[in-house]
Amino acid sequence: MRSAAFRGEGNFAALLVAPSLIVLVVTTTFPLIYLFWSSFQNINLAMPFLDGFAGLDNYRRMMADGNFWHSIGLTAIYTISTVVLQVVIGLGLALLVMRIPAGQWLFRIVAILPIVLAPVVVGLFFRTLMFAPEFGILDFVVRWAGFGPVNWLGSPTPALVSVIIIHTWQWTPFAFLVLLASLAALPPDVYEAARIDRANALQRFWHITLPLIRPALVIVIIMRAMIALSAFAAIFAATGGGPGTATEILNLYAYRTSFVTLDFGYGSALAVALLVITLIVSGMLFYMRTARTT
Amino acid sequence: MSDGKGRVTLRGIDKHFGAFHALKGIDLDIAPQEFFALLGPSGSGKSTTLRVIAGLETPDAGTMTVDGVDVTYAEPGERNVAMVFQNYALYPHMTVEQNIGFPLRMDGVPKARIPELAREAASKVKIDHLMQRRPGQLSGGQQQRCALARAIVRKPRLFLLDEPLSNLDAQLRLETRVELKRLHRSLDVTTIYVTHDQEEAMTIADRMAVFLDGDIVQVGTPDDVFNRPDNLAVAAFIGSPPMNLLPARFEDGAAIIAGERLALPPRSAPVPAEVVLGIRPSHVRIADTGIPAKVVLSENLGESMLINAEVEGVPVKVRLSEMRPIAEGATIRLAFDGGHVHLFDPQTRRRIA
Amino acid sequence: MARNPHQAARLRRGIVLYAVVGLLLFVWAFPIFWAVVVSLKSETEVLAYPPNIIFEPTVRNYRDALVGGFSILPSFATSFIISGLTTVLTIMLAVPCAYAFARLRLRGKKALGFYTLVTQMVPPVGLVIPYFLILNRVGWLDTYQGMVVVYLTFSLPFAIWLMVSYMEDIPCEMEEAAFLDKANRFQALWHVVLPQVRGGIAVTVIFVFLNAWNEFLFAVQLGGNDVRPVTVAMYNFVSVEQTLWAKLSAAALIAMLPMIIIGFAAQRQIVKGLTVGAVKGGGRR
Repeated sequence: MRSAAFRGEGNFAALLVAPSLIVLVVTTTFPLIYLFWSSFQNINLAMPFLDGFAGLDNYRRMMADGNFWHSIGLTAIYTISTVVLQVVIGLGLALLVMRIPAGQWLFRIVAILPIVLAPVVVGLFFRTLMFAPEFGILDFVVRWAGFGPVNWLGSPTPALVSVIIIHTWQWTPFAFLVLLASLAALPPDVYEAARIDRANALQRFWHITLPLIRPALVIVIIMRAMIALSAFAAIFAATGGGPGTATEILNLYAYRTSFVTLDFGYGSALAVALLVITLIVSGMLFYMRTARTT
Repeated sequence: MSDGKGRVTLRGIDKHFGAFHALKGIDLDIAPQEFFALLGPSGSGKSTTLRVIAGLETPDAGTMTVDGVDVTYAEPGERNVAMVFQNYALYPHMTVEQNIGFPLRMDGVPKARIPELAREAASKVKIDHLMQRRPGQLSGGQQQRCALARAIVRKPRLFLLDEPLSNLDAQLRLETRVELKRLHRSLDVTTIYVTHDQEEAMTIADRMAVFLDGDIVQVGTPDDVFNRPDNLAVAAFIGSPPMNLLPARFEDGAAIIAGERLALPPRSAPVPAEVVLGIRPSHVRIADTGIPAKVVLSENLGESMLINAEVEGVPVKVRLSEMRPIAEGATIRLAFDGGHVHLFDPQTRRRIA
Repeated sequence: MARNPHQAARLRRGIVLYAVVGLLLFVWAFPIFWAVVVSLKSETEVLAYPPNIIFEPTVRNYRDALVGGFSILPSFATSFIISGLTTVLTIMLAVPCAYAFARLRLRGKKALGFYTLVTQMVPPVGLVIPYFLILNRVGWLDTYQGMVVVYLTFSLPFAIWLMVSYMEDIPCEMEEAAFLDKANRFQALWHVVLPQVRGGIAVTVIFVFLNAWNEFLFAVQLGGNDVRPVTVAMYNFVSVEQTLWAKLSAAALIAMLPMIIIGFAAQRQIVKGLTVGAVKGGGRR
């Protein structure tokens, strides 16, 4: 028997949960249903006279759309490379900073700055101050080092590299801070035991550190992958998806289709595709997480 | 079997942690196959000494040799030592088998042989039925055994134990103490054991070093340390409760306390006129005549009784084996056999032999 | 300093270590540092090649950004109103919900929690398309209420999950003691639980405000001339004035100033917010 205080717990809980859930259903689920609905419609603000039920037309068109597959490929490159770079650099930096006895605070301060800046501002800073031909600092450095002028944002491959650099610059501090906190929470005596057991630095990292911070690593990877998949503002500000479609990841393609081409029906179908991809990727990562920890 | 060696020598080991002088140039010799205890209160430097021996700390000055080889700056892994940590330091993500097998794995023992060797070590401490558990699924005692098994699996030259029993409950501590002693006999490895519990050190060690404030104040067998404390510091630390220390005058081979004369056996060394007289609480009797003392508190300890009294304002404890009603505030007379008396020089603070 | 060979080796390793981390520190600090430098230059000096390190700093760009023709102050106010309203609403909704998720027995709680989590993963572009059509129909494009409703879509699920992890940290005994003192459930929540999670609420406020302030996609598409947050104002500035970098830098730094201040002042809280959950699993023994 539970005490009297616990009677009516369910009702009280429902009362507390209801407002949030109602708001979430109205503000998120309803628009998503609308998105699904519109992905089966012709909605083109430029040609409203064609509007009407389209069935699977938008999805058939997507399967045959070279731009769509191109953007999927870019999304994969962008997501995988930024996540890998963030985790590798972030972990490496965290391991190094863990070993410096003084001045850790400086790193925490510097690491906070990129995180709190708006991605659109970061994109603009890089587009103008760093990557701009002639006057950007990076261009200056590359020329000074003798690699000639690089049209960073104006030619396809450098542009893709540039947006990857921008994303990595902005979000590596996140991985760094999370992993630093996670490393700092590890028990020091376990490392001493490992030293006595003759594990060298590499073996300690491989057999002790990595398994112990795996939960944090997986969470970082999940969170960063989600953010990379829906990255928008920094790319939009730096390249606008260009030159041509060289940096147009699926997210930007769905945006351009809807708001520039004004083909909302097809844009919706592309957004649904992105939503499905996001859910599949997160589902896979979450599965990995639970499968490995139990 | 270890190769029949394991002689540890520390010379002038000095260690600071910031402003804190943790070790003040200590010297120590530990013989092969000895069970050696480092005893002292917390902050006295005993754990630091063990960590210097393990190679987990580097001394600021001084040298350490094992079997004549200087290992002062050697990495822990190069020293062929095994250690049981106070909190066991088990690898939380590994099973018992993987934990015990880890030192073997790092030693390059063939993978196929590791489970068998790990099981062998586990069976010595009776946890071979738990091989697939993780540390989080073990009780405190089982974790401790797992840490022990991990330490003995490699047959090290030195076996280091950092307060291994302090996280166990009282019952288990007594059992494990006996087992540690048995384990040491069967392994025949030099064993260095840190503890703040003097009873533990007394019962388990062949010899011990008493640490106080970063110095070693006495090295000797438990019998030496208990029955022939070198100085006032050791006298005031060893024993539960420690011996009573009373200022006394010395005249014609007798001590005078509160006007009472107490004949003492002759000493080989000259005795100054002012001395400190030490007497264990269990050696004090309540008699009809003797030193007058005022009872402050009497405690019933079950098997014995502890009287807290004062002699001229100096606290004195008396342990009585028989129960008897003693009123607080009453004046009693204390007597003791001169043969049990220790004398110390208040100037040098050393024992007068 | 090196009193023995071991310490000498350690000193050498330390120097290499500091050099490497110092270089990385420079890489991460440089773009912001350079933005500050550029914002203090005149427009002609910005275009000097090679870039000048030594120049006469001017605050003209800042003055222009504040009171000039392209003043960002109206946008600043807009961002403040939207972010503030979003934060207040989010906290009011999320805190009770998180308490119920963390503490109370409720049928279907797991499913509801999962629903909240999935909601958080919806890519913004999947919402901006239907919202454009919906808000267009109800006439809420370019309105404050429209923006706040849209911002709830990402702030609310995030805030609920962040608050749940803080709620789980406070011991149950607190509420039980309150019940013994004849508090009802609501009183226990208000007088006992809420004061315990003040720190968590502060972290949540910071994150919700920050995310709302920095949002761009919804703002550029669902805002307009009346409701134009700073992020959109910055973007428009560059589209219109391609080369006025010094002014852009000054305006952008002013626009980001609240975030930079929050970043410095609440550094610990932000790191805690980032790591909550991630570290919890990491330190398990």
